[in-house]
Amino acid sequence: MIDNTWTERTAGARLECEVNGRPVSLDVAPSARLLTVLREELGLTGTKRSCEIGRCGACMVMVDGKPINSCLTMAYQVSGSRITTIEGLASEAELHPVQQCFLEEGGYQCGYCTPGMIVSVTAMLEHNPNPTMEEIEEAMSGNLCRCTGYGGILRSIARAIETGGQSNDCR
Amino acid sequence: MLNRMSAGSRWRTRPDGRGKVTGELAYLTDMAADGELIGLVLRSVHPFARIKRIDTAAAKAVPGVRAVLTHADVPGLNRFGIVVRDQPVLCEDVVRYIGDAVAAVAAETEAAAREALRLIEVDYEVYETIASPEAALKPDCRKLHPDGNVLKRIRYGKGDARSAFDRCVCIAEETYRTSRQMHTYMETEGGLFVPGPDGRLTVFSPTQHGRKDREQLADILGIPEERIRVLSSPIGGSFGGKDELNVQPYGALLACRTGRPVRIHNSRTESVRAGIKRHPMTIRMKTGIDAKGRILAHQVSVLADTGAYATLGGEVLTNALENSLGCYVYENIEIEGVSAFTNNGVSGEFRGFGANQAVFALEGQMDRLAELSGIDPWQLRRINLRQMNDPGAYGQMIVPTDGARQVWEAAGASPLKREEAERPGAGAPAAPWLKIGYGSAVAMMGTGLGKGIPDPGGCRLSLAPDGKLEVAFSYEEFGQGLLASLELMLIERFGLFEGDFRMVIGDTDRVPESGSSTAARTTTMMWLALGRLMPEFKARLAEAASRMTGRRAEALSLGRGGILDEGGALVVPYAALAAAEQANGRTIECVTSASFPESPNGDFANRFLFVQAGTTVKVEVNELTGRVRLLDQYHAVAGGPVANPQGYLGQIEGASGMALGFALTEDAAMKDGRYLFHNLDSYLIPTIVDQSKSMTVEAIEDVPEGDPYGPRGIGEIGSVTLAPAIAQAIWNATGVRIARLPVDPAELQKRPYYLQEAVPTR
Repeated sequence: MIDNTWTERTAGARLECEVNGRPVSLDVAPSARLLTVLREELGLTGTKRSCEIGRCGACMVMVDGKPINSCLTMAYQVSGSRITTIEGLASEAELHPVQQCFLEEGGYQCGYCTPGMIVSVTAMLEHNPNPTMEEIEEAMSGNLCRCTGYGGILRSIARAIETGGQSNDCR
Repeated sequence: MLNRMSAGSRWRTRPDGRGKVTGELAYLTDMAADGELIGLVLRSVHPFARIKRIDTAAAKAVPGVRAVLTHADVPGLNRFGIVVRDQPVLCEDVVRYIGDAVAAVAAETEAAAREALRLIEVDYEVYETIASPEAALKPDCRKLHPDGNVLKRIRYGKGDARSAFDRCVCIAEETYRTSRQMHTYMETEGGLFVPGPDGRLTVFSPTQHGRKDREQLADILGIPEERIRVLSSPIGGSFGGKDELNVQPYGALLACRTGRPVRIHNSRTESVRAGIKRHPMTIRMKTGIDAKGRILAHQVSVLADTGAYATLGGEVLTNALENSLGCYVYENIEIEGVSAFTNNGVSGEFRGFGANQAVFALEGQMDRLAELSGIDPWQLRRINLRQMNDPGAYGQMIVPTDGARQVWEAAGASPLKREEAERPGAGAPAAPWLKIGYGSAVAMMGTGLGKGIPDPGGCRLSLAPDGKLEVAFSYEEFGQGLLASLELMLIERFGLFEGDFRMVIGDTDRVPESGSSTAARTTTMMWLALGRLMPEFKARLAEAASRMTGRRAEALSLGRGGILDEGGALVVPYAALAAAEQANGRTIECVTSASFPESPNGDFANRFLFVQAGTTVKVEVNELTGRVRLLDQYHAVAGGPVANPQGYLGQIEGASGMALGFALTEDAAMKDGRYLFHNLDSYLIPTIVDQSKSMTVEAIEDVPEGDPYGPRGIGEIGSVTLAPAIAQAIWNATGVRIARLPVDPAELQKRPYYLQEAVPTR
């Protein structure tokens, strides 16, 4: 049976954080994961649910600039943090340069891993604008893609590095 | 070499790209509805058991639970299956695998639904698990289905293979085994099921063939098909894994019962447990050659583990056998195959469709015969390679193709093959326990469903009320780039302009029957159907413009934005034409119900239109760990004109990645009918680390003169040649013959080199 006393006890825990530049204030259960809050409470479904054990990276978001698996993060852990999801990368006017490079190089097929992939690449390049292949492998080994064989993804990353990840023109 | 530079302006941004890189594209498992319930399925805890009793009373009493359904609640046919309807929607008397569904629950919250699942009482009488096809075929084995434990048995022969072995100078005999590979689409199964006020049910759920889902769901619900609308794209990966129904019956039943929208989204663990896999196969081959290397006799015996239900197991076996003959010619053939029911999950459709297993074995035979005869393995293939006008494997007439020779020559001339020839020196290993090896393989694979199987490819072209030229197919976009290929085809081949047309797929209310997006068939079908229909459609538009303007229809043509005159000036915009037609109560719509081309002869669902691949790889084997790394790969693919360069490259790269897992790491291992893993922590698909090395794709576009079939589907061929090429490369590096996939590192581990030197072997 559902333990009503437990339900009541856990209600009212307040999460205050910033998501994609906007302040968020929500009542969340202590057992709520960040992934669930993003998808179910905030409607940010660009962050995907796949393995839910931190292996595939489909749910990757940036917390204070660091890539993390939102399926392994409790909502309360991001209290006071700045969270960026895939929806927070592009500006009103244009795509984030990493997004633009993925778009033009075809760094996606079904697209389900793509948000997490782009978040990981963005976080990597912000931290290290000129990664070696070994560093790319290290940074991206937590993001699984089943469609591309990573060829298009590697070309997108190479292009993003080439263009400094800053320019909005990947051509 | 196929890449962005060589593709030039044909390298285009995919129409579905922007939504994918921004995260704005809503997948069907991202959808939610006001007032929705959460649906869950109770699955069997035993691989094989009789159901003695199901009690749902306690589950129904859980607050928030709105429905608990069992077999007694299925109003229509309590069975599904694309070809054979043999899988229970909700089991009534027997469960046959640990994913078999026994009950379905809908509740206000997931917690309530989980609590209800926990409280459903099922009493089972446990039967002994049938854990292998060998066990299933024993005469005293319990029957899984009324007709026994054989789903399909095929035999084919030509000449007299048995006596021909007497004339052979070399004979290779081997038993090959391949694993149960998991599709591992990143989006697990799920969807949203919405009952409408008009009594219609709208299904938002990924599938490779929305119209087939609608047909099956109508039978299950006991309602006419017209009362169901299936929206089925976009899809977060499928690879054959979502062609068969998965959660749709439960969502549909729960939504109809409760009158509320129902959302289901499988956890990965649930997906592993319930989802179909690639058929594990045991393939025995005996092949003999004469002194010149020509194959005189080839014997094949395939035993496939099809699991608990049929789905497409019979068809996979058929294709495996066709591919056990590959692109070679034989004097004498004797092949047989059996697909047996077991309690090992359900095996079904998966990219390559049985060819992956068969080509691994066949190419292994060529390697072993080369070693026995002293003939170079690549030359041995050439000696036996089919010629342009040779018949297909079963002697059936096929579309003439020189692809086998083309890919053999291209791969043979590849830089990697040259590097192999120039050894030693190139790529010297960094340590004594690292061994470098090269390997190559060729394959030829059919597209389309095969002789005798309904293979519709309908298309509808119409002028929509808003003035868009609408192009509708019942195909689905699961990432393969169908929309991108169609868009490029409409622009380049059929002269439409971007912005003037709208592509409609994945909605049963709006598309004609074009069959399933499977068997590498859609590109060819779109090409053929549009080729047939477009002249008529353009003529109809010109006639309508003629009626409107009084000009001669022959002088009018389609251009950017509307109908043009002979001088190229815009005469009528499409929107105005649509408005005029509507005002006069007319519509412009052209429909064709073409079928995929099939061979005029043959009895084994044999194929007619083929593609080929030749692959060369370079690997590094670590003899301390037994691990194999793929260092470089070259793929020549003969698939006719490239419909869409970015998609073509991506398909070969992606298929190769999947084949890498098949060769080296992926095994959905089971013991006594239970999976030994539950998630992606122990089922290992390749990561970026495994595939960050060089890869070259060469597209061979030449087809024989007068060939009318256009671009061939290349979605599957890239997945069949890599494993045998890696197996040859491992032998080349270490002298170890691989007969079982995935490669077991223990087979490649050697005593450390320093111990080899210091300690005498006893």
